Amino acid sequence: MSANGFSKEEVIEALHSIAGEMHDNMTKGQPPRMTLPVRTKKNIAFDERLGVYKYGKKMSTRDATSLGSARQLLRALHVTEFIEEMINAGKSSTLREMYYISEGWGHGKFGSQNESNNLAEDLEIVTRCMREDFKLRPEEDGARIIGNITFEERNRRGDWMRINCRDDVGDSGYGVPYNVEAEKLRLITHDVDFIMAIETGGMFDRLVENGFDESAHCALIHLKGQPARSTRRIIKRMNEEWNLPVLVFLDGDPWSFRIFASIAYGAIKTAHISEYLATPSAVYLGIRADDIESYDLPSDELSSRDIQALKAELSDPRFADSEWQEEINMMLDLGKKAEQQSLAKYGLDFVTDTYLPEKLAQIMGR
Amino acid sequence: MADAERIASKQKQISISEFFEKNKHFLGFDTLQRAVITAVKEAVDNSLDACEESRILPDIRIEINRLSGDRLELIAQDNGPGIPRDAIENVFGRFLLGSRFHAIRQTRGQQGIGITGVLMYSQLTTGSKTRVTSKIASDSSAVHVDLGLDTRKNRATKSNERRDLWLDENGHEIEHGLMIRTVMRAKYQRGRQSVHQYLRMTSIVNPHATIHLTVRGLDGEIIDDGHWIRTTEKLPRVVEEIKPHPHGILLGQLQRMLKETDERNMTSFLRHGFSGVSLRAAKEILAAAELDEGRIPARVKAEDAQKMVEAFQRVKLLAPPTDCLSPIEEMLIKKGLSKAIDSRFASTATRKPTVSQGNPFQIEVGLVFGGDLQAEGPIEILRFTNRVPLMYQQGGCLLTKALESVDWKRYGLDHPGGRGLPKGPAAVLIHLASTNVQFTSEAKEAVADNEEVFEEVRRAMLEVGRGLRNHLKKSSQRKKAQEKFDLINIILPEISRKTSQLLGREEPDLAPVITRIMNAVFLEDEIGWDKHSNQAVCSLTIYNYTARARAYTILAKWPEGEGVAIAENPRGGRKETTGLWAWRLDTLDPGQSAEIRFTVSGLSKGDWTDAEIFFRGNGDIIGATKIDEKLLDEMRKMEALALAEAEYAAATMNESIQRLVERTPVLETSGESLVVSSDESVVEPSNESQRMINNPEDLRQWTPAEEVNE
Repeated sequence: MSANGFSKEEVIEALHSIAGEMHDNMTKGQPPRMTLPVRTKKNIAFDERLGVYKYGKKMSTRDATSLGSARQLLRALHVTEFIEEMINAGKSSTLREMYYISEGWGHGKFGSQNESNNLAEDLEIVTRCMREDFKLRPEEDGARIIGNITFEERNRRGDWMRINCRDDVGDSGYGVPYNVEAEKLRLITHDVDFIMAIETGGMFDRLVENGFDESAHCALIHLKGQPARSTRRIIKRMNEEWNLPVLVFLDGDPWSFRIFASIAYGAIKTAHISEYLATPSAVYLGIRADDIESYDLPSDELSSRDIQALKAELSDPRFADSEWQEEINMMLDLGKKAEQQSLAKYGLDFVTDTYLPEKLAQIMGR
Repeated sequence: MADAERIASKQKQISISEFFEKNKHFLGFDTLQRAVITAVKEAVDNSLDACEESRILPDIRIEINRLSGDRLELIAQDNGPGIPRDAIENVFGRFLLGSRFHAIRQTRGQQGIGITGVLMYSQLTTGSKTRVTSKIASDSSAVHVDLGLDTRKNRATKSNERRDLWLDENGHEIEHGLMIRTVMRAKYQRGRQSVHQYLRMTSIVNPHATIHLTVRGLDGEIIDDGHWIRTTEKLPRVVEEIKPHPHGILLGQLQRMLKETDERNMTSFLRHGFSGVSLRAAKEILAAAELDEGRIPARVKAEDAQKMVEAFQRVKLLAPPTDCLSPIEEMLIKKGLSKAIDSRFASTATRKPTVSQGNPFQIEVGLVFGGDLQAEGPIEILRFTNRVPLMYQQGGCLLTKALESVDWKRYGLDHPGGRGLPKGPAAVLIHLASTNVQFTSEAKEAVADNEEVFEEVRRAMLEVGRGLRNHLKKSSQRKKAQEKFDLINIILPEISRKTSQLLGREEPDLAPVITRIMNAVFLEDEIGWDKHSNQAVCSLTIYNYTARARAYTILAKWPEGEGVAIAENPRGGRKETTGLWAWRLDTLDPGQSAEIRFTVSGLSKGDWTDAEIFFRGNGDIIGATKIDEKLLDEMRKMEALALAEAEYAAATMNESIQRLVERTPVLETSGESLVVSSDESVVEPSNESQRMINNPEDLRQWTPAEEVNE
């Protein structure tokens, strides 16, 4: 049941080692502590071997000398206990359920769902396990896929069910489950040339309605904004196991750059498992900053938050290469951003008849 | 002179109602919204003044009922002394300017033209009469009477007069009090300029008053109400009347005094007619003005009087006495504010009385912070002059400008650009008590610029600002200390228990871990209230969470004062200086704690809520401040000085009592009249027992001139 093949006993032992460190500290008269990598853009670096961005060597110590940190340690212990109980009882829970269960943990309860999500990630990082090992699953649903590809998914009864994402699904496509590892999902066959990942539901539906999957011979996947882990993981698997190119079609704004980085290079929050989630060969298709001018797209002024985000990206190691620096600076100079759907200015078919074919030709030509 | 007479007689033909109509704006009846506020204000001011004079704790009830067609019914009831039957007509029916207008002391009723204006407005706008119910203690029944105004004759007309018992809602006989019921064209509104706000502000500066407001809509439903219960039984002290000070005298007023005085020569006229003039000063003034000491005052000519006015400014004079002022006092400001505003912290400052141009004045400021106060937007300013709320023209008022001149950022409030009002969950009360408040206009809503007043307000602001800064610093310190205590007392033991449980190991000894985490000495203070003994209880706990033994002397500030004393104090200690007590503690070993507990009697609940703790010794204490020995020396010196001053004051008091006994009443101001005409050279004394304005023109000129003259 694990991407990296830990047994139940190994998972519990890994979690216990965190409690063990704290206990050892206290026995020595030291404040209990937990050591983990710094989880900011300042501490991610390109891993040559894996071809993705991983956490660097900067470590931070969380020790019980401040109330906030002490609470975190106590929470980690409560979570450890909770996971152990679930493993022993053969149950699982969503991260949101864990957040609500923490109501009963007294001083160890979470202040927000964000805190509980972050702590689950902290434990993944320290133990090198994955949250599936902890019997924790996300609340967020994964992506939708439409195209001529065939999966086998194990259903609740434990039977394998064969699904073709063009013939066996309705207009909303195949819903990607939260677990897309081999024990749950098998990649069977496909008849497509590439995979196109799309940021917004509106654009996904437009491409489906225009039959773009058939005309361009591709599979369409709807990212639903910042893609969930399972979405990134299934893209990665299709890319690796079927050797399919991945093209990413997003809005033209600072946040799209970050979405692309999380697909191609690894997200900062999950840099500890970038090698499972990131698809380094993914290509950014658009909307690009210069599209706004060359296609004369309806656009909005960059807000002060947008500008701040772009400036932050300039110092993000994932955007360090000259091409990205140029792209970001171009958007800053232009002072504008545009949505995918602004292409509708030239009619409903413009995107499938003109824009995407032109973009594809550019990329193929490169 | 013939011209003047002709003009005067022409003016007499203008009816009072016409005059009223023309001057609505400064009489406070210019808008429908304002009319009801002014009416309530006149009624409440009268009630408070009457109760104060009769030493009655005021219970005031205001009821406003909406009627059809922009009309309101106003019922104002108090438990004051009531008005004797024969006086009712005079009190309500005439444009009276009572004695308070030229007595030099601080009173509320310097504004408006009194309750008569309310009757007038009611009659002019709705044609209805005003019902007055009055009961005085010595009568067996109350008088009920409907009053109208005969504007031609300038007097009240009575109708439906009867005597009857007056019962309250519980059927009990009302012993004394006054109730007015009137109907007027007016609109009730809420917000910053409303009856509600006016009464709220009034209750703040009159903590001894209980005020109830009920406002009903057309269907009798309650649409607004407010209940402010008294927080003290202490009535404001009776203020002394004082004689004018030469520095504030203008020519016209001097001429009037010269004509009216009973003194036979100039020296005694100056000595007894004014404050601050010694025999020597009187002689100097007369010499400077080239006037004979023995001259009969009434024979002094205008040009000589002018020379005297000039001389007044050159000769060195004593400051006027300041006991003509009635400050609210710090403790009562706190109580008043707490009655109307739920806050966490209050800081007050009462400046010493000062003199500007011969007029004594005094500034008091109170600042409340936190609690239910809105954190967004500018702070609330509550402006008062002589206990009367100012509700309009906030921006143009000197009190506001002085507040804005402080750099509030330094004191912990958000103050964007250092201009305008600071922002944050705070409210500031500013009270200007003065024998003569100078306003920017007849509307009397904004205090006019005056350098000395400005500087005093500013200084008072800095004082309360420092209080706020200390409070904020302390609460952040306290919060940090509390977090540390939670950490070692709750979280750490739980971490220890949980890890041991998970791993099946023994629990570690946490003492060394705690020392490591805290590595400091902490002091926790708490002030509570003991209901049974009616004492404030202060307890201090000192924890040594360091690896070394520590020894300290702990000093606590406490509100020492008249009738306030330390009651229980098992640890003893000694008095360091006024309001500062010290205890020497035994050596505290690592991990040890010690407690100091003492009680203070003579306070009311809520009087003392913020402890200030100092220490003497090596190594810091979180939660206490190292005592500044220099400051302490300073405090001791101040104390010695204050003691000496008090002794001196007691001595001079005896002397002045002696002087009073020797002399017949000096200046019987009440019952006199003054009419100052525009050219200031003509002074017409009159002997009517109460001053009455027959000529509307007089009133109009006199009212604004009043501010300048006195």
